[in-house]
Amino acid sequence: MAVDPKTAWQPYTPRTDAPWDRKAVGHLYRRAGFGATAAELDAGVKDGPAKALDRVLTGASETDDFTRTSDFMASARSMPTGAPQQRLSAWWIDRMLKTRHPLREKMTLFWHNHFATSNAKVLNARFMLGQYRLIQTHALGCFADLLTAMGTDPAMLVWLDTNTSTKAAPNENYAREVMELFSLGVGNYTETDIREAAKAFTGYEIRDGKGALNPRQHDAGEKTVFGKKGAFTGEDVAKLCLDHPACPRFIVRKLYRFLVSDTDTPPAELIDPLAEEYRASGFNTGTLVSTILRSNVFFSPTAYRAKIKSPVEFVVGTVRTLEGGTGALPLADALDSLGQVLFAPPSVKGWDGGPAWLNAQTLLGRNNIALALTSTEDGRFGARCDPAELLAKHGIKGDAETVDFLLGLFLQGDAPPATRNKLLDYLRSTKDVKYPAYWTGDDLAAHRTRAVTHLALTLPEYQLN
Amino acid sequence: MTTRRDFLRGSSLLGFGATVPGFLGRTALAAPNADKPGAKDTVLVVVQLTGGNDGLNTVVPFTSPDYYKLRPTIAIAKDQVKKLTDDIGFHPAMGELAKLYTDEGAVCVVQGVGYPNPNQSHFRSMDIWHAASTAETLTEGWLGKALKKRPVPGFHLAGGNEVAPLALAGAPVRVPSVTSLDDFKLKTIGATGADTAAQKGVITAVADPKAPDPKAGTPNLLDFVARTQMNTYASSEKLASIGKNYTPKVPYPNSALANKLKLAAQLIDAGIGARLFYVSIDGFDTHAGQGGATGAHANLLTQVSESISAFYRDLAGRGHKDRVCVMTFSEFGRRSYENGSKGTDHGAGAPMLLVGGTVKAGVNGTHPSLTGLKEGNLVHGTDFRQVYAAVLEKWLGVDSKPIVGDGFKPVEVFA
Repeated sequence: MAVDPKTAWQPYTPRTDAPWDRKAVGHLYRRAGFGATAAELDAGVKDGPAKALDRVLTGASETDDFTRTSDFMASARSMPTGAPQQRLSAWWIDRMLKTRHPLREKMTLFWHNHFATSNAKVLNARFMLGQYRLIQTHALGCFADLLTAMGTDPAMLVWLDTNTSTKAAPNENYAREVMELFSLGVGNYTETDIREAAKAFTGYEIRDGKGALNPRQHDAGEKTVFGKKGAFTGEDVAKLCLDHPACPRFIVRKLYRFLVSDTDTPPAELIDPLAEEYRASGFNTGTLVSTILRSNVFFSPTAYRAKIKSPVEFVVGTVRTLEGGTGALPLADALDSLGQVLFAPPSVKGWDGGPAWLNAQTLLGRNNIALALTSTEDGRFGARCDPAELLAKHGIKGDAETVDFLLGLFLQGDAPPATRNKLLDYLRSTKDVKYPAYWTGDDLAAHRTRAVTHLALTLPEYQLN
Repeated sequence: MTTRRDFLRGSSLLGFGATVPGFLGRTALAAPNADKPGAKDTVLVVVQLTGGNDGLNTVVPFTSPDYYKLRPTIAIAKDQVKKLTDDIGFHPAMGELAKLYTDEGAVCVVQGVGYPNPNQSHFRSMDIWHAASTAETLTEGWLGKALKKRPVPGFHLAGGNEVAPLALAGAPVRVPSVTSLDDFKLKTIGATGADTAAQKGVITAVADPKAPDPKAGTPNLLDFVARTQMNTYASSEKLASIGKNYTPKVPYPNSALANKLKLAAQLIDAGIGARLFYVSIDGFDTHAGQGGATGAHANLLTQVSESISAFYRDLAGRGHKDRVCVMTFSEFGRRSYENGSKGTDHGAGAPMLLVGGTVKAGVNGTHPSLTGLKEGNLVHGTDFRQVYAAVLEKWLGVDSKPIVGDGFKPVEVFA
């Protein structure tokens, strides 16, 4: 069912064909964050769309404990320049697991994938943290400020070689990507624009850990970019890109893919109104995200389960939903085998996402991480993600109640009846299995619960976001 | 040696019954004895050099004064190149491949490969190479299309961060990406054999792509997931039966690329019918600090040269050298002149290498001119689709026209 472009971006109100129910709440919490707990699902349904959306969009302020711990872990002592990449990744995962404003971390992830910078080349954890802070500050703020500041961000200066680009022989790396990947997209600039813009980005250096312009290495001469002439600096080129008509459309399309659908290619008539609004707002990303999340499109079949979970969404979402207290370092290690290491995207284009998240190896990786998280046999994650404990907490007893609770929690019931039967069959089959004689009744019950939880996490439906 | 038929018979893969992906079943029955190209059990190994390999410092025109003028700090001195002809030679880091070239006659260098109006975006250009097309929207790859005609089992041997390449998209059965045999296993918490079987039974049964609930969101994505799962579980069962221990005939260097090629050699030698491998090595985007005879680019070329050479010699030691063809490519070459960062910006026109027991050893085509540059870039002499056409026609035995289009005469790269 296609969405009518006229009403697409108007605020959603519940209808018979799009009711406000657990599915809608689960959808909102997955896209605007990292999944919902049972309590969040219940509260969301009870509160109705307006209140639930406000809560997700505003977020709650972080606790003192969260801030103190996170800042300490990010301090120069805990995270020196040469800190291993996994520690950076774990630090952010820990934030995602515990934050009370998941949307902000989610949007930080969006921009990290947009300005995809890898510590594999930067090799400086302090610079990477600095870029994280820059992005996080503007994640729901002004894109124009973010794009401009990125031109002198130390991690970016290293990543795309601007710090070695000189007047005598400019380096085109940043000039190309700022147009191709950061603001306009292929087809909206020429090779000459890149060569000319590269001159504007000469002379930027890192001094005392900050980006700075060295006039002696900067080409102060006249350049012609997009047909406009001037003695442009890097900041001027950022402005020229922002003024280009392709810019808001490019960002809105990318955000549509991130928040709405991996597979739907929205027509111009759906994108253009948002792009105009985005430019008119001075590139206010928070307003744009709010419009999208509150819209009819967002609560339509076009968006529903129309994305493949990213590894971060899969892992963080699973742990949050299971209300687990799993350590972030093993999760950071686990993400490696799923194809998404934070602060180490595969290239400046970031992660392709969508169907590209899943291949044979990463799929097995997901199944096996889910197993490690739900079982007690894998020492890495401990027993701090214990489905048996979760079920007990919610007073769930009996096979049917267990299966329905899990399918309701992870999938809000979006699994075919045959799948429910298979899970029930499995639980029934365990009655005939000879378990080790020393197992107590509780051991067996916990084992069955863990096994069936793992099975639920391997369902094809659970891979969709 | 285990035959493929034995292999499949002994494998629990047969437990998948009718749902087993077609290609896995079919290979058991394929008769590798017809005399047509591709009907033999030829193996193609594609090595992607990601980032834009500097062709000019890979195959060096060491008699050209222009070359030394364009590259004052990163040029390779004449006395350091590994000479292939009187005018060109390999980068000094490529000694192993140079030996294969001179001693074994197992290397074919195709010079100045590219396409008209080259795109200098990494991603757009890579897509063009993968799809063998410059169409605006590219959804299928050249190998994916070839696999429709000749559905041989293939593997993408991937690093952790690598996604399945577009080149393989469109294949009738998704080519599995494998990072390591150790991790390529479906694990459960089965407390006993029966419990394990019951759990695996559920996991494989719910991944039935024929039974997606139409109400459960977008059927396409769900179907995609289910198909990927089913193919994955079947592939992992298949690979589970291959022993972990593989002792190569020659030592491989310790590098990511070498590890991938060693795994490929193991899979080839295991006789499971695998005939297509796709591997890549990243890092060729050398905008800064590229180095000359030593340095970043040299290290990459060392890895390529030593890994491919070890792979060839390992397979030769097992009697497979005439079955295997390794083909390298990159999305573009680099600018003819160096930039101020002692590196090179995005350019065009670069060599491709083919390595194998039956390639036409030598140099194909002429080195691109250093005086007839276009905006500082080398102009290509051979279209990459001519190389693809040769590989498709002569190696895989597939009609190339529906894949690369008309007018791409296969280059003479096979003896």
